[in-house]
Amino acid sequence: MRLRALTAGAVTAVLALSMAACGSSDSGSANPSVDAGAQFEAGTTMAKLKTAGKIKIGTKFDQPLFGLKGLDGKPAGFDVEVAKLVAAKLGLSADKIEWVESQSKFREEYIEQGKVDLVVATYTINDKRKERVSFAGPYYQAGQDLMVKKDSTVDGPEALKAANAKVCSVTGSTPAEKIKEYVDPSNIVLFDVYSKCADALRTGQVQAVTTDNVILLGLIDASKGEFKLVGKPFTTEPYGIGIKKGDTKFCQFIDDTLKAADSNGDYAKAWKDTAGKVAPEAPKLPELSACS
Amino acid sequence: MTASNTAPPMIRMESVDKFFGPLHVLKDITLQVPKGQVVVVLGPSGSGKSTLCRTINRLEPIDTGLIEVDGRPLPAEGKELANLRAEVGMVFQSFNLFAHKTILENVTLAPVKVRKLPVAEARKTAMELLERVGITNQADKYPAQLSGGQQQRAAIARALAMRPKVMLFDEPTSALDPEMVQEVLDVMTTLAGEGMTMLVVTHEMGFARKAANRVIFMSDGEVVEDSTPDEFFTAPKSGRAKDFLGKILTH
Amino acid sequence: MNVIFDNFSLYRDGFLQTLKICAFAAIGSLVLGTLIAGFRVSPVPPLRWVGTSWVNVFRNCPLTVVLFFCAFGLPEIGVNGAYFWFGVTGLVLYTSAFVCEAVRSGINSVPAGQAEAARAVGLTFTQSLSTVVLPQALRTVVPPLGSVIIAMIKNSAIVGAFGVGGDLFAVGDTLTSSRGEAVLPVLIGVVLGYLVITIPGGLALGWLERKVAIAR
Repeated sequence: MRLRALTAGAVTAVLALSMAACGSSDSGSANPSVDAGAQFEAGTTMAKLKTAGKIKIGTKFDQPLFGLKGLDGKPAGFDVEVAKLVAAKLGLSADKIEWVESQSKFREEYIEQGKVDLVVATYTINDKRKERVSFAGPYYQAGQDLMVKKDSTVDGPEALKAANAKVCSVTGSTPAEKIKEYVDPSNIVLFDVYSKCADALRTGQVQAVTTDNVILLGLIDASKGEFKLVGKPFTTEPYGIGIKKGDTKFCQFIDDTLKAADSNGDYAKAWKDTAGKVAPEAPKLPELSACS
Repeated sequence: MTASNTAPPMIRMESVDKFFGPLHVLKDITLQVPKGQVVVVLGPSGSGKSTLCRTINRLEPIDTGLIEVDGRPLPAEGKELANLRAEVGMVFQSFNLFAHKTILENVTLAPVKVRKLPVAEARKTAMELLERVGITNQADKYPAQLSGGQQQRAAIARALAMRPKVMLFDEPTSALDPEMVQEVLDVMTTLAGEGMTMLVVTHEMGFARKAANRVIFMSDGEVVEDSTPDEFFTAPKSGRAKDFLGKILTH
Repeated sequence: MNVIFDNFSLYRDGFLQTLKICAFAAIGSLVLGTLIAGFRVSPVPPLRWVGTSWVNVFRNCPLTVVLFFCAFGLPEIGVNGAYFWFGVTGLVLYTSAFVCEAVRSGINSVPAGQAEAARAVGLTFTQSLSTVVLPQALRTVVPPLGSVIIAMIKNSAIVGAFGVGGDLFAVGDTLTSSRGEAVLPVLIGVVLGYLVITIPGGLALGWLERKVAIAR
């Protein structure tokens, strides 16, 4: 874990530098306007949170562009901005949010145990996860893609086998499972964090890194032009907001919030301030799935 | 040096000095032991006689001076030194038989490992040697199962198995119960009678009188007297030797 | 607990991978550690120096750092290879320092007279170490060596995170994060896997300890 922290720290520093170079504003971008007069039906999660005056939100701390803890100790990124939108709608300003680092493997546990009220952490909606938690959204549609060296001829997952290429991903991640359909298991290299995959790609230990395209964007941003995105997503990864299982009213509230943010431009702004620095084209809000 | 004698002495020490830290344990020792001679080294404890014995096969390295065995200077640590040690038999006060090997294995180990003798041949020789020292029936036992006297005789057999040119004995009877001293001395006396070159550090005056050709008396790291046993025991020249003999003989 | 039975083949593969890592690492570190212990008691000063530095470096470095150097440092200087062997190498380097110290303490427990007698009959340093001193050291060395090896088996979990993958601990990771299984039952399965290796290992060591004790 110490190592992970170290690596994360290093990545943070690099990214902070590169962001500073872009001449952009600081990580605490203009916060969405707080809906101070919000009223909620008694007994709902919304009412409870509003009364409590604070909210615990799980996000990644090591995910460039989506949720990355900065030098000021606060996470920044698209996920973080989306979470702030939800909080604002509850009448809670950004300083009322307690950020909880939520690594992939602990997300369900955290929601079930109430360690967090909601999770916005590049969290793909799938059936297995739906057995334990409910999802609002999706608020973004990612897809698994490949990152290769600038001069690589690999043009899609199908080319990997022919090239006998080694592919790197993170232990226990969905992309690591998915890539097994395209390459021999002995050619899959797994690390605990993606920054190590990037290093392995740079030193020629592996020929490709695979995960969701948005994550790869962060790594490409940090590589100073050494890597490129293949650009052919071969899965769809709808990112949802994880909440306690069966909390339909809260789910509906979040969905409404997302729709409102989409129409008033907050959603596009959240992207532009964060991931938009690497991928300028703002995404469309995906069609929301029904709350259950 | 005797120019007329063409054969080199078996042991030659020339101006040897050794220190243990600030302690000067061997002071400018010069001596020669010709082939076939039996030398007994006497002296009070702490006189450096054991150290002298151990420098001859370089178990103790010296600080200055020269030591030659059979005309060859002692080599530095390594294969060559191992070869030289193979030709110098040594018997220790505390026997030092290899505790995890039987008596027979103790005797055959070095011939097989160092001389590369076939195991069968080494065993045959070993059994002959064990017979010579009178412990054939102990061959398959482990050292801890033997009495001290038997162990020391086995240790002598182990040294002889390498067919050494010279034998060093470092107080071979000092760790033995009194009733076992004689059996070991008997083996040594026989060996002396067969013409083996021997350097024996001991307190056994009887052995010195009976089997030695020469007595060296050491005190405070120096050779104080170097004479025949008769001369030494009947007419010691130095005060320190007289003093030493006085204490030994009254006991 | 169903998670264990439902994913039995995954657990089995992880178990075999861990076993494979441990088998190579145990053999490697025992051989290397004994060799380094030989260096440390050698009469040749440069060898002693190498032995001492070796122990000081690898015993005092966190395992993750050693593994980091193997998995990322070696490719950095142009040494490319399978992460499995990088991981095993790192584990061997790290464990060898502890094996060395256990063996050295065993060597020191053998009375000095034994080595002296061995040298006096003409055995070289290597011969006296291998035929006289080490066999007798074995008796005192088995228990601490057992602890070192068991610690190594548990340390193999860290190796999995350096590109090796597929080991027991990584299987736990896969089940919890990509398949969304509850952490606790999954980890119980992982622990059982390690126990299947370490407990018989401990029993075998106990047996070995009794055996070498009788052999004298």
